[in-house]
Amino acid sequence: MWIDVAQTVFDGLMVGGLYATVAVGITLVFGIMGILNFAHGQMVMLGAYIAFFAVTAGFGFWAGLLLAMVAMGLFGLILERLIFRHTLTDHMTGLTVSLGIIMVVENLAAAVFTPDHRNFDPPLSGNVQVLGITLSAQRLLVLVLVMGLVGAFYLFLQKTSFGKAIRATGQNRTGAALVGVQITQITALVFVLGSAMAGAAGALYGSLFAITPYMASGPLMKGFILTVLGGLGSVPGVVLAGFLLGLAESFGSRYFSAAFNDGYGFILMIITLLFFPTGLFGVRGKARV
Amino acid sequence: MSSASTPLAQPREAIGRTARVAAAPRLALLARSLPIVGWLVLAVLILFPGMGASRYLLYLGTLIALQAALATSLNLVMGYAGQFAMSHAAFYGFGAYASALLVSGAGVGFWISIPLTMLLAAVLAACIGYPALRYTGGVHLALITFAFGELARLLAANWHSVTGGPMGMRVLYSPEPLLGFSFATSRGLYWLATGMLLVSLLIVFLVQRSRFGRALVAVREDEVLAAFLGINVVAHKLAAYVMSSMMAAMIGTAYAPFMSFISPELLNAHQTISLIGVLILGGIGTLSGPIIGTLVFFGIPELLRVAQLYRLVILGAVIIVGVLFMPQGISGLIRQRLKRWTRDVGMATPEAVKR
Repeated sequence: MWIDVAQTVFDGLMVGGLYATVAVGITLVFGIMGILNFAHGQMVMLGAYIAFFAVTAGFGFWAGLLLAMVAMGLFGLILERLIFRHTLTDHMTGLTVSLGIIMVVENLAAAVFTPDHRNFDPPLSGNVQVLGITLSAQRLLVLVLVMGLVGAFYLFLQKTSFGKAIRATGQNRTGAALVGVQITQITALVFVLGSAMAGAAGALYGSLFAITPYMASGPLMKGFILTVLGGLGSVPGVVLAGFLLGLAESFGSRYFSAAFNDGYGFILMIITLLFFPTGLFGVRGKARV
Repeated sequence: MSSASTPLAQPREAIGRTARVAAAPRLALLARSLPIVGWLVLAVLILFPGMGASRYLLYLGTLIALQAALATSLNLVMGYAGQFAMSHAAFYGFGAYASALLVSGAGVGFWISIPLTMLLAAVLAACIGYPALRYTGGVHLALITFAFGELARLLAANWHSVTGGPMGMRVLYSPEPLLGFSFATSRGLYWLATGMLLVSLLIVFLVQRSRFGRALVAVREDEVLAAFLGINVVAHKLAAYVMSSMMAAMIGTAYAPFMSFISPELLNAHQTISLIGVLILGGIGTLSGPIIGTLVFFGIPELLRVAQLYRLVILGAVIIVGVLFMPQGISGLIRQRLKRWTRDVGMATPEAVKR
């Protein structure tokens, strides 16, 4: 019995960690720039393709992961400089523009990569026995990697001077500018970081699931649910919410119905909003009206 | 988006007054008669496929009428209330599935299934809209409605026993004759779709002229100010969202017998994004904008036979460029130009200056 539960917990943490990796990028960009980037899912998709091409070209998974992060970071930089910089004044403009980017990127990807499903061999295969539980080695690796990525991201925000500048910008733009933070550089950095996290999440997704040009909406939907649950703009909140959602999904599909897997998160979100309108870890008193 | 100045923000009576005071030279006359010309053009456009013999034109006309009706209904919540509802395609698909299941599964008549479907959609929209709109501005609604749209699509794809799964569902009925008019032919279905378009236009037209519509615009322009004026902001936003979702479900009921096939792809978020693109191109928050946008987006590429894939790429690019450089859209651009003409004329007359 407890082995079954432990297995489910492990699965939940792994999936939740993946969701959190997607969601920290969305949350950081929203918290600092006020832009809800719907095209974040497309970066996950592109990251998965980059990892796929790197692995099939023989560079191996680790190079693929790194390449996906670097390439998506660059892609994010280009998008920020060309487009999102000009939409900083209005929530809705940035959101609408990102919808346009979805259409362009996704349909071009479908034209270039063809809609076929693709897979690449994960770096680890086989199973590992821990305390009598059988765990897939690749899933364990993904769990370790997402923990490492999210942890490093959090430490970067908390400890480094760049991270402090980012948080200061999020709290008060004008105030941060007054004490010498280069606001335009910080927004670019935020966008690059968020996009690189999306690229990493894409490479990890690709090592577990099928890669298609239309894979973006799944991770994006989960990322959005986490963003709401975590209280718009809070990075630690979103990570905790990610593990919570992962556990809810794995227990839900293990003990209730696997077909309704994607519904658990949505129900969790609606119920949470009814009782905690600012999310589980949101700051109180942000309501305007 | 919400700050985009639409003609609605200005009192329309004032424009009419200055124009009347003026000696009404040709431009002002043109400006005033343009809405009438617009309605006439719409009537001709509607009658043309309906009276013609071409099956292709009927098919295209039905498709465009449905899309224009959808864009018009989305305009209510996005253009007037300024709220981002990403679940429009989901409610459109919900309408198609629910009505098809009611008719072929429960044996309800087609015409009875329309209000039933709309009622179900209203309950669903209220359940989603209330928690989403309760406290914060537009962002929660965009996030939650997107998640709902995806969930609805996945449910439609995974719930094999009810929806037929990803392969879709055949629809083998046509609406019963009403008042001696048969809806079983493609011509009949064309008139059904145009009827949906006209009903949607009428609803938005009436809302726009009502106290409720003006309150929506006030909410869009400044929520805090609207609350100070005694407008119940949450209730107004929720009402706009529920109404617009009900209209989408209503239009969906016509889709099922027209296509005789429903698949989960109908609920794809891309459909909603396309509609938003149509609104932005045509002019958000105007009555004519959705129709102009639909004609440009669906009519021209269809006639030129552009491949679907590249059509969507172009559409995406149009959204990006449109939002950054021309947020008022085609219709807004025309209105702006007209207003300038009428205002110039009004300023030139001594009476107008005295006032």
